[in-house]
Amino acid sequence: MAVRTIEVREKLMARNNELAADVRGRLAQSGVPMFNLVSSPGSGKTTLLERTLDLLGEELGIAVVTGDVQTQNDADRLARRTRRLVQAVVTGGACHLDASQVLKALEAIDLADTRLLFVENVGNLVCPASWDLGEVAKIVVLSVTEGEDKPLKYPKMFQQARYAVLNKMDLLPHVPFDLDRAVACAREVNPDLEFFFTSAYTGLGMESWFDFLRRQARVPVSA
Amino acid sequence: MHEMSIALEVGRLVELELERNPGRLLSVGVMIGDDAGLEPESLAFCLEAVLAHPPFDGARPVLNRVPGDTLRLEYLEIDDGRPDD
Repeated sequence: MAVRTIEVREKLMARNNELAADVRGRLAQSGVPMFNLVSSPGSGKTTLLERTLDLLGEELGIAVVTGDVQTQNDADRLARRTRRLVQAVVTGGACHLDASQVLKALEAIDLADTRLLFVENVGNLVCPASWDLGEVAKIVVLSVTEGEDKPLKYPKMFQQARYAVLNKMDLLPHVPFDLDRAVACAREVNPDLEFFFTSAYTGLGMESWFDFLRRQARVPVSA
Repeated sequence: MHEMSIALEVGRLVELELERNPGRLLSVGVMIGDDAGLEPESLAFCLEAVLAHPPFDGARPVLNRVPGDTLRLEYLEIDDGRPDD
């Protein structure tokens, strides 16, 4: 028999990365920045977005794409806070969103009426780090009910993120969470990480987050 | 945890390659970096599951571990049924 070896050398993320570039291109054309919110389950991504939509949803024309393994509960929660479309992607078992899902979700979003776009990724500190969705930046949410050393345990996610939201700060007096150590652990893996310290539940510390988003949103077209 | 997604992408690329180079697939080489965010044993398990079905005929996955975050399909080994040169 004739056994032949065929060299392929094809990057396995190439297809996703091409689609992510497509997403990035479309958003750049519309001038809409997209942020990819990532975290472990239960760190408060949805509550952070609820608060954000309450205060800035109209002002900044915020649209959201949510990803969950099952249910569209998060999308339903967020849809109650905005008149804009909240697109739910149910991954049906997959542990992350990929660029093809975001590209499809974009088709339903009126980008001309949108100044800022959030993707709420599947709650998981591992897999979403590997998938470029075409975002401007990943924002990792960590809460004070988690371990301070999460950035060391999940370094890729914290390396990939440009911003970190330390959430549930209202619970700090009640939990054995060493804030300085958490920041040091995060900076150890990513010295350039920029922090926000918030309680999305009580509203504590949300102003600097809101100011940041106001600076990021597409400049409105004057009438 | 996304090893199955990657294994399915390997399957998609191998299928395209087999259309260009018909034959019986014997093995599939995948280069996987230590920082690629994947568990090699889990990826091997998922690849075995994907390659167990037609048109792959139970081909063997061969993982080549390297430093860094490389993740690529390296090669296919096929028997094209033609006599040896």
